[in-house]
Amino acid sequence: MEYFIQQLINGITLGGMYALIALGYTMVYGVIQLINFAHGEFFAAGGYVGAIALGYFSGLGYMETHPVICLTASFAMAMAYCAYLAVGVEKIAYKPLRKESRLAALLSALGMSIFLSNGLMLTQGVYDAVYPSELFQGRFDFGMVTISYLQIMIISLTACLLVGLNLLVFKTKVGMAMRATAQDKTMSALVAIGSNRIISLTFAIGAGLACAAGIMYGLYYGSVRYDMGFVPGIKAFAAAVLGGIGNITGAMIGGLIIGMVEIFGAGYLSSEYKDVFAFIILIAVLYFKPNGIMGENIDDTRV
Amino acid sequence: MKKRVLSIMAMGLILVPFLFASVSAKTLKIGSMSPLTGPYASDGTDIKNGVWTAIKVFEEAGGMPGYDKIEFFPQDTACDPRQAVAAANKLLNLEVVGVVGAYCSSSTIPASEVLDEESIPMITPASTHQDVTDRGLKYMFRMCGRDDDQAPAAAKFIKESLGAKTIFLVDDKTTYSQGLADGVRIAAEKLGIKVLGHEHVNQGDKDFSAILTMAKRENADVFYMSLQGFSPASMMTLQAKRLGLKSQIVTQDAVFQPKFMEVAKDAAEGVYLTYGFTDPSTPEYKAFEDRYVPKYGAIAAYATYAFDGATSLLMAIKAAGSTDPAKIKAELMKQDYQGVAKRIKFAANGDSGSSYIAFKVVDGKFVPYWEPMNGLIK
Repeated sequence: MEYFIQQLINGITLGGMYALIALGYTMVYGVIQLINFAHGEFFAAGGYVGAIALGYFSGLGYMETHPVICLTASFAMAMAYCAYLAVGVEKIAYKPLRKESRLAALLSALGMSIFLSNGLMLTQGVYDAVYPSELFQGRFDFGMVTISYLQIMIISLTACLLVGLNLLVFKTKVGMAMRATAQDKTMSALVAIGSNRIISLTFAIGAGLACAAGIMYGLYYGSVRYDMGFVPGIKAFAAAVLGGIGNITGAMIGGLIIGMVEIFGAGYLSSEYKDVFAFIILIAVLYFKPNGIMGENIDDTRV
Repeated sequence: MKKRVLSIMAMGLILVPFLFASVSAKTLKIGSMSPLTGPYASDGTDIKNGVWTAIKVFEEAGGMPGYDKIEFFPQDTACDPRQAVAAANKLLNLEVVGVVGAYCSSSTIPASEVLDEESIPMITPASTHQDVTDRGLKYMFRMCGRDDDQAPAAAKFIKESLGAKTIFLVDDKTTYSQGLADGVRIAAEKLGIKVLGHEHVNQGDKDFSAILTMAKRENADVFYMSLQGFSPASMMTLQAKRLGLKSQIVTQDAVFQPKFMEVAKDAAEGVYLTYGFTDPSTPEYKAFEDRYVPKYGAIAAYATYAFDGATSLLMAIKAAGSTDPAKIKAELMKQDYQGVAKRIKFAANGDSGSSYIAFKVVDGKFVPYWEPMNGLIK
């Protein structure tokens, strides 16, 4: 039982990070029906900006005195950077192709992914960038079950971001505009919603969330590398499809399921094939529910 | 007609200096193979730097008689067997006379078959899997030790020095890491240590929480971590510490990298690992240190072996007075000298002997801790 709870905590931590990345895929798909394959690179870029910012603060010695302020500032800076990066990518790589076939934009996304990942390698080097890991090194022990401060921080921050996003999309005017654009661009333009602005905003929010996941990933695993966006990107994409692509709640649930299946597969069956289990679940669900768990065409919840 | 002959002669005269240039500027080509990109890039770069230092030192000591300069071609294998074979073929096309490399055993084995077919001597500074030299290749040499020596040494250390009764092993399924983990498991069983589990992860994994939770449940005395390279090892150590794993972590030569402590920080303290013994008080080592450290920073795992490998190769070519592979081999077999890492003398199969001891991480440094013959090192 304790073993099960421990694995559950591990799974939620990993699944939460996947969920944050998956949201970017699903939101962008909801608005312009594009699979943004460059999304994993925003995650990697976020991890790097976080490493640079935290390393800088740590070098100045502020890390010991004001850890919370440093962390907040790093998150804010990195998320802002990634949001701008995503808006720029959208303007350069996707907007000119919006009228073309979807395949053109998809290829453009793949190209952008390779471009960004190599750009990161050339500017930041092939070595791992180290996170200052003095942060949150403590842990609580409940018998055999251990939960580290870092896990608590990651889980709670993820929860805050997910709740915040839900409030933004479903309770505010901007969210309403996003949902309207997702449903019908022409019609929403007639009621004075600028679709370009909304699309940019969607990219920015998605990248910001991926960026937050990138920093948490760096804090949790201790280091980041230029190619780290690829595998989590693919898994988060799978999570978005699993939950029903275009559906926000679906992406959150899908992310958690993929994370859990991976951890439980490794913990109970075989850690060699843990990636396989995640994709077996994906195939099994899509076989019975081709639109994913939450379905992709529930208009109200689609972004 | 006369004019034409004259003009042809004039053109010929213009070409003369080029002709001489190509005759007089004779270069000796040496290659290296190691991962310069990807997760093992830092180890691979150390190998490249070690070979480069050896060439510089050799040139300053007079160079190669009959050659004006030594050209160096470092190739990237990325620890990928296919890329390693491609790199080996590229070196053949460049007509190198010898190769130092590769890093991962899974790269060295296929690449060496390509090179051996063309009788190019290959000296690996880092591949410890027994099959590297056990396949009967004529031109395969090794500077580092063998895993079938390392595994019993590690098991002996775990039993005698740590007094462990139970062990939990994990590897990442590479030729090197799995071979070594299997070796340690078998050796440990022979010594009466109970194996509570032997799990595998994938190369490139970052999340080890599931497997570490399993290890924590088993709560073995020793957690043997057999991973290819310091990068996954530092992540696993960090996560193990955070999860509260009580088992003593023991690992192996691929983790002998100062960067291990840089990433894992406090979590690395008290980790044991087995690595070949190098006497840092020899004049050879000191000379290398003076030369290497100011330019490339702290000496890591394979720089010394790469330096010795390249030096052996160059010395053999010089002694042979030719680039004929058979003569180079004959000279390599004759060698018996004190290198930077150890005393170098090749056996018939190309091995140069193992000298595994256990190190402990103390205050962010690898400190020699135990040796198989006499136990604890003061």
